[in-house]
Amino acid sequence: MPAALLIAGKDLRQRLRDRSAIVLGLIAPLLIAALMSFAFKGTETFHYSLGVVNDDHGVVATQLVKSLDSKASRTVLTLVPLSSESVARTSVHDGHVAAALVIPVGFSASLSAVHPESLAIVTSVNHQIEGNVTRSIVGSFTAQINADRLSVETALASGVPLSSLNALTAKAATLRIPLQSVERPIGADQLSAISYYSPAMAIFFLLFTISFASRSFFVDRAEGMIERMRAAPLRPAEILVGKALSVFVYGTLSLATVGVITSVAFGANWGSPLSACLLGLALVISVVCLTALVIGVARTQRQAEGLASLLVFGLALLGGNFIMISSSPPLMRTLALFTPNGEAMRGFTDLATIGGGLAAVVRPIEAILLISVVTGGAAIALARRAVT
Amino acid sequence: MRALAIARASTRRIIRDRTSLFFLLVLPIIVIIIVGATVRGFSTFRVGVESSNSGPAGQQIVSALDHARGIDVITYTNKKSLTTALARGEISAGVLLPLNLGTSESSSRPITVTIYAEQVNSTQQAAATAVTSVILRQGALVQSANFAAAHSSSPYAQTLAKATSLQHSVPQVGLKTVRADSSASTLPQGYSYIAPTELVLFVFLSALAGGATIIETRRLGMYERMLAGPVHARTIIAGEALTYFLLALVQSVLIVTVGSVVFAVSWGNPLAAALLVITWALVGAGAGLLSGTFFRTPEQASAIGPTAGIALAMLGGCMWPLSIVSATMREIGHITPQAWAVDAWTSLLSRHGSLVTILPQLGVLAAFAAVLLSVSSLRLYRRLS
Repeated sequence: MPAALLIAGKDLRQRLRDRSAIVLGLIAPLLIAALMSFAFKGTETFHYSLGVVNDDHGVVATQLVKSLDSKASRTVLTLVPLSSESVARTSVHDGHVAAALVIPVGFSASLSAVHPESLAIVTSVNHQIEGNVTRSIVGSFTAQINADRLSVETALASGVPLSSLNALTAKAATLRIPLQSVERPIGADQLSAISYYSPAMAIFFLLFTISFASRSFFVDRAEGMIERMRAAPLRPAEILVGKALSVFVYGTLSLATVGVITSVAFGANWGSPLSACLLGLALVISVVCLTALVIGVARTQRQAEGLASLLVFGLALLGGNFIMISSSPPLMRTLALFTPNGEAMRGFTDLATIGGGLAAVVRPIEAILLISVVTGGAAIALARRAVT
Repeated sequence: MRALAIARASTRRIIRDRTSLFFLLVLPIIVIIIVGATVRGFSTFRVGVESSNSGPAGQQIVSALDHARGIDVITYTNKKSLTTALARGEISAGVLLPLNLGTSESSSRPITVTIYAEQVNSTQQAAATAVTSVILRQGALVQSANFAAAHSSSPYAQTLAKATSLQHSVPQVGLKTVRADSSASTLPQGYSYIAPTELVLFVFLSALAGGATIIETRRLGMYERMLAGPVHARTIIAGEALTYFLLALVQSVLIVTVGSVVFAVSWGNPLAAALLVITWALVGAGAGLLSGTFFRTPEQASAIGPTAGIALAMLGGCMWPLSIVSATMREIGHITPQAWAVDAWTSLLSRHGSLVTILPQLGVLAAFAAVLLSVSSLRLYRRLS
């Protein structure tokens, strides 16, 4: 068996015997993914209860209530009839309904008057989105009424005699706002928290391999292990390849196990298996190269630990392992693409939402491999110093 | 005095380690900056617009969207980049304006603006309804201008200008907002959310990871050497507890100061906030001592400590408000001290809470600190004697 494989086998056995490696490579990402899955279960679909107080019962008020109870509205809200504004306030305050609409007495009749009655939306500071959605839905209903009133006033202001007011009002009532909107889905899957944070956490804990592997190298060196290997007929390259191979196998096993378990147990969407595997492999290669770079740059175990920790947390922060990078400002999103984990997260996000198979991961894989070539090249240049 | 000397020596040892210093003092601030910048954007919807070749009327709609409260417009040059950005979550809704969107002719044929949003996505739905409101408001102007132009001798451009000027003076069906409550059950958004939750997270996490120092001290036989002198085990334990307490306190004070000075975070009632910081530092000290006696190797403390710290922070509402999770998860969350600390900060920052209002949380945290410090002291005492 080639020497590199023997070294890799020994390193892997040693690592798997160490419980902290199992914790970081497997238990931690699964635990955190599980927590995320339970925490967000049932909270990713938007639906709320809207209280309605209809004190008017006129034609327009009835139409408004009917529109709120339409098939389209029912996908977002459930109407809860309430008896009075004070009951509505209490219900919103106590959280029985997220928001409430109050249609005042005489609302329908007031629409033909100069000053129409206002509608009231009872909101809670804890349900602001529900309040805003109610405001927009009701606003869309009143938009036509307001547009008709504005049309008549604009016509009068443009020189139409006041005597035509009744005729204008009747004509305006038949109008329809010429600018309408239609909502369309884009056909992409929604990016659930579990589908984002499963790869995010798997990658975050994979990055810890840099700390572990570089530390173990310096421990080996301090214990004279590297010198003993050098005494054998081994080339420095074989020692490094062996070490790199153990990092590669450990990283691949960790990422693959977390991927399979989070997909099966928590329903995380990692995209097409082939694309996800290729993306994961590219990422593991970059972790190997970064580990080699840390070993090449550091002179002592302490330096390696410090450098690796900075690298792990720096990459995780920039690459979007702690936060949904898409919510961050454009500069942060651009910076993320200079990190291998940021590129991988972009790839996994695209696979989970747009899909697209291999085509979706070609660019991230290219970018990760480019980063690997640069870091790996620098590591090779420094390799001789590390093992001699 | 001897306990103080031990605390001084241990603190000096930790501070000399630049990596520890980075995790203790620099990392929390960097996380607050980065995460704070991200969460800040939640108060407005980012709406993507593809309006190339939509003509002047299209640009009017873009301008109306841009001026609408709570909407940030980001322009895209093609439909694909717009929908890709939406799929990735970079924008909350996408607006596709038709080519050469007409103006004067629009009365004869209604024009449809496409809003891309998923029905099941709450943020996208809210953004889509906000966009619809703006489009309808803009459409009302077009309808009024067309109507007036058709019934008078004025040209469309003139009637459009009239409609625009009248839009805010013509009495309309108003929507008044009635607030049913004024006190939030979550922390305010932005840095006021991130700074206190990161304080809770990092003090505990750093203490757990810092347990590695006690293990290393044990390994090096330093405790035995101390015990060989006229030093009692109780003094050593007091010294170590004091070290972790001081470090937690320094870390907290730094986060509070940076939060106030740089990010304008208002920490609420000063006395209540100070007591909360001190109590939480005691909880951190207990957690650090426990980690130092619970784990066998420094590697275990460095690996399992942060993992446990992150997991407890998630359960306790440091990563997201517990109000958005299920009631069961909320109850489970309150098994952790983090949830009680976040509740206390929420009371101080969101509800103008005082020392009296956070007394229950302080009591629970003090109990956590007492249990952690007692159990860890006992374990360390057993190891030393």
